[in-house]
Order: sequence, then structure tokens, then C-alpha cells
Amino acid sequence: MGSLLLDGVGKRYGTAVAVERVDLDVRQGEMVALLGPSGCGKTTTLRMVAGFVAPTTGRVLIGGADVTQAPPHARDTGMVFQSYALFPHMTVAANVAFGLEMRKVGRAEREQRVREVLRLVRLEGLEERLPRQLSGGQQQRVALARALVVNPAVFLLDEPLSNLDAKLRGEVRMEIRALQQRLGLTTLIVTHDQEEALTMADRLVVMDRGRVRQVGTAEELYERPADPFVAGFVGRCNLVEGALEAPGAFRATTGALLPCAPGSAALGRRILALRPEHIALAPAPSPASNGAARLKAVTYLGALTEYHLELDGTPLLAIRPTPPADDPLRRLSPGDAVRLSWEASAARLLSAEPTDQQGA
Amino acid sequence: MAALVLPAGILVALLLVAPMVLLFRISLNEFSPTQMMVEATTAANYLRAVGDPYYRSVLLTTLAVALGSTLLALTLGFPAAYWLARMQSRWKSLATIVVLFPLLVGNVVRAAGWLALLGNGGAINATLLGIGVIAAPLPLIYNTGAVVAGIVAVVLPYMVLTLAAVIEGIPRQVEEAASNMGAKPFTVFRRVVLPLALPGVAAGSVLVFVLCMNTYATAVLLGGPRFKMMAPAVYDQFVRGNNWPFGAALAFILLTITLVLTVFGSAALGRRYRRRLAEETT
Repeated sequence: MGSLLLDGVGKRYGTAVAVERVDLDVRQGEMVALLGPSGCGKTTTLRMVAGFVAPTTGRVLIGGADVTQAPPHARDTGMVFQSYALFPHMTVAANVAFGLEMRKVGRAEREQRVREVLRLVRLEGLEERLPRQLSGGQQQRVALARALVVNPAVFLLDEPLSNLDAKLRGEVRMEIRALQQRLGLTTLIVTHDQEEALTMADRLVVMDRGRVRQVGTAEELYERPADPFVAGFVGRCNLVEGALEAPGAFRATTGALLPCAPGSAALGRRILALRPEHIALAPAPSPASNGAARLKAVTYLGALTEYHLELDGTPLLAIRPTPPADDPLRRLSPGDAVRLSWEASAARLLSAEPTDQQGA
Repeated sequence: MAALVLPAGILVALLLVAPMVLLFRISLNEFSPTQMMVEATTAANYLRAVGDPYYRSVLLTTLAVALGSTLLALTLGFPAAYWLARMQSRWKSLATIVVLFPLLVGNVVRAAGWLALLGNGGAINATLLGIGVIAAPLPLIYNTGAVVAGIVAVVLPYMVLTLAAVIEGIPRQVEEAASNMGAKPFTVFRRVVLPLALPGVAAGSVLVFVLCMNTYATAVLLGGPRFKMMAPAVYDQFVRGNNWPFGAALAFILLTITLVLTVFGSAALGRRYRRRLAEETT
């Protein structure tokens, strides 16, 4: 058991930067997700914690001890690989027992702990199977069991759900989170799936091109994104380029005037971020009506409906709960004029230049 | 589909099975110094080969050299094969060519080169004698060590490439998982890499062992006139002694022993691997 501290960790390959700099403090029992598109450096960061990649700068501390120079086998991390990486020539029981064997745990205790952890991941009765005789979901649980059984100081998950089908993924997500909380494991999970990160982690680290863009809880990232990248990556978001003309008045480059939060922000070039669910619609009396938007397309999604709109040349997406069948909104069709409205405070102004904020 | 196998099948039948049958028939004939060969059905040639201490020692030498060379090739070849298999860079194809390169040089040419280097009048001895470090030439060739070294140099590429092909199939992440679970590098090798590479170890060893058992040029050129292995002995009987029946019997003994050891060796390797696995994991 222990905390995990990344202190200015970076990795370069020659002149190519894989990870610019990551500062991160994962508290005992906390689950933190590294989230970002492929190539953002999240997997390299995880591999630096496991010891498979040597950082070119910074330090890795596990439970307060500097392990930057320690080889992987001396680090007390338990990792679940994306490919599971089970030992194909060993039975399920042998796979799970391997880490205990390496830790010189006696046979009787070993057998008992293997039994317990297999019950925990619901694999009782499959002890003598070989990995190739198991389904993908079962293999995944063996990989979990193998990493959990040694009670690692840091639990590492590398895209653990990406090889499962959608239905199983939701289930396993809940299971992993429940296990992690029950066992109080300090956990770092790498994922490119924002839903996975939002539902599983206590805090998220959004990365892009080797840099940390923002660290925070799901709510913080969603409601107060630090920059357009985070706003666009976590959840869906309308990002409109333009400039702040006067407090509360944002002029898009297309000419549309959009109300926004009347804060003390300096005037000038900005990006306006507006979540699609914050845009309310009402049928407009006539197409010529001033300030009305035009409906381009409607996508019915059951509980929700997506409205693809255009306001003076600026494309906007609105997502609303599907209105009741007798609502006039249900009779809208592409080409119709609609009036849009939103709380000014919902439209956030972000710096047009990508920032390097490391909020926490 | 089966028809596709036919051309190769006919070729093998004509060029391998037919001569073998013929050879076996000859091995049962009697030798006659005047008529060369007398039609007969006798085991006399086999009994002579087994009973004669000289031929027994030739057979033992052959077995010892082949076994030793195979083990040496395996020991030297595994690290090289691992390194080659795990190579990521653009130099990998170049490295493969370098490994293959010795195969471009024929056995005879290579052994002749070694003679020029290691012989009594060769480069090394001439130099050492010239600067007065030694008074008499060092016995660098015409001994078992020279033959084994020569054979290993010939067969190493086969071993390395066979092993590398299998090691490449072992996912890197499986090794990482083992070290993540606390296994030190040698333990990762012993518990994960070696067991998973065992099919390659078996295939490479069988291939190399068969090549070693049938060594001819290297044994003759680096072993010298008094060093005898089976293949040169067979040649001697056919060409110098004109004793085809006895030569055929020697050839068949060589063939049978190679075959039996190969089959049982690889079967035993598989069994032992499974048993050890079971022991360590229960």
C-alpha cells in the first residue's frame, strides 16, 4: 500500500518528446485516470511508473521511496496489460500464483490467497484451465487477479477494457472500481475512453501531445475546462472561435453574436465553450426573425435528441431531452427557424492559445 | 489440394526413398575383393560395424561431437537469437543478413580458411613463432576441439534463425508481466522465455544435430587424417575400400541412430517440459 508521486517526470527519445512533464500526486487508495488521445504520452507515463521505461527527467516515488532507478521487479506494482499478457503455458492458478511465488510466499498461504482472489473475480472452478481455454472476459479477470493477489503498492491498468465488447465493458468497469475501492488500492489507469475515465476515476489527468492539460475531478474538467482541448475531449462541446467585444458579448468570427458570462475577462481573441445540453430551443415565428438559428438536422436518440443548428454561419449542436409527442418542437424539420437561448454563465470563455495549466 | 503435394512427393520418392531401399539391399550383400559385391542376405556387415572397436570409437566420436556441438550451438545461439528477435530498429534486417552470412561461404572454403589461420604453418602459429613467443607450433587444429568449433560455426546460423523465429512469437508483454510480478531477469528467462521457446529449442536442436551427425568436410579438413567421424568413414568404404556393402551398413547405422535420437530426444524434451511445469505450479 502506498501513494504514488510523479515529480516532473518526462521522457524523450532523442529529440522526440514522448512525455514533456508530468507532476502528479496519487493519494493512498485513490484512483486516477490518465486520459488522452493515442500518442499523448499516457501509456509511456504508466510504463515509467512500472519501470519499463526509464524517465529522462524527474522522479517516481512509490510510498515515499524513490524508485526512479529501480528495475520493474523491485517496484511492487501490479499491472494489468491491455493484451492481458497471461503466461500462456501456465494454468490460471499458476498465473495468479506467480507473483506470490516470486515473493517467496509459502505454498499453503499461496494456495489460499489464489483461491480467495479467484473468488473475488468470480473465476472459481477454472483454476486448472490454460489461458487459451478462456473467453476474453475471463482472461481479463485472470489478469486482474494476477495483479491483485500480490496486494501491490500501486495498481496499474493499461486500457484494461479495450479488448472487451461494449456490454461486458460496462460491467467490468463497475467491478474494477468496486474492487479498487474495497481493497483501497492506489490506482493509475490509462484510457482513451472518456466515459471510462469519468465513471471509474476519482481524478482525471487529461494529456495531449506529451503534456498534462488539466488535472481534476470529472465535474471540474467538465464544468470548468482549462482550455479548448479539455473542453472538447471531455464530453461534447461547442467550441466557437471569435473575440470578446464587450463584457458578456462574444462575436464569433462568422459574425454571430453570442451571449456569454459577463466576467472580468479582458477583451480580445477567445474561444467560447458551450455544452450542447445548455442550449434551449423554441420554434421561431418566421425564418426572417432576427437572431434566429436555422435547423440543419435532427437526430432522434430515444431519451435525447440532437439538434444540428446554424446561427449566422456558426454551427452549433444542441442536445435536449426528447420533448413529449405533442410538443411543437417535435414538429420541427430541417430548414425551420428556431430561437436559441442559454444561461450566459454556461458559455465559458477560454484562452485561444493552448495553455499548460496544471490545476489540481 | 492433395494433388499439390504430388510433385514434391514424387521427387522425394525417386531421389530419397529409392536410393535408401537400394542402399539397404546393398548393406545385406557380401564383399568380395575380386568381384566387389556378391548377392547375399547377411547381417555380417552390421555385426562387423558394431563389433569392431575401431568403428565403435568412430561412432562414439561422432555422437560426442554432434551432441557437444549441438549443445554449444544452443548455448551460444540462444542469446543471439533473443537479441535478434527483440530487435526493434531498422538494423534488424541487416542483423539477420549478418547471421545468415556464414551460410554464403561453403563448408570447404571456410575450413580451408581455418587451415590457413590455425594450421601449423598458418597465420597465428607463423606470427607467434616469428616473434619468438613459442618454440613449436601450437596444436590449434587436427583435434576434437577444432572440429567442434568448426562445426558450431557452420550450424550456428540454423540454430539462431530457428530460435529467433519462435522467440519473436513470444509477446514482449508476457515477459514484462513476469518482471512486473517480481521475477528477476534470469527467472523471467527460466520460467517464461525458455518454456515458451521450447518448440524452437527442439526444432533447432534436431536440425543442428542431424547436420552435425553428418559432418564431412569440416571433420576431414579440421580433424586431420587420424580423426574419424561416420560420414568420412562411409565415404572411405565406398570410394577407397570399394567395400559397398560395409559402407552401406555404416551409412544405415548412422541414419538409424540419428533418426532414433532425434525422435526420442524431442519427445523427451516435450515430456520433461510438461512434467516440470506441472511440478512447479501445483
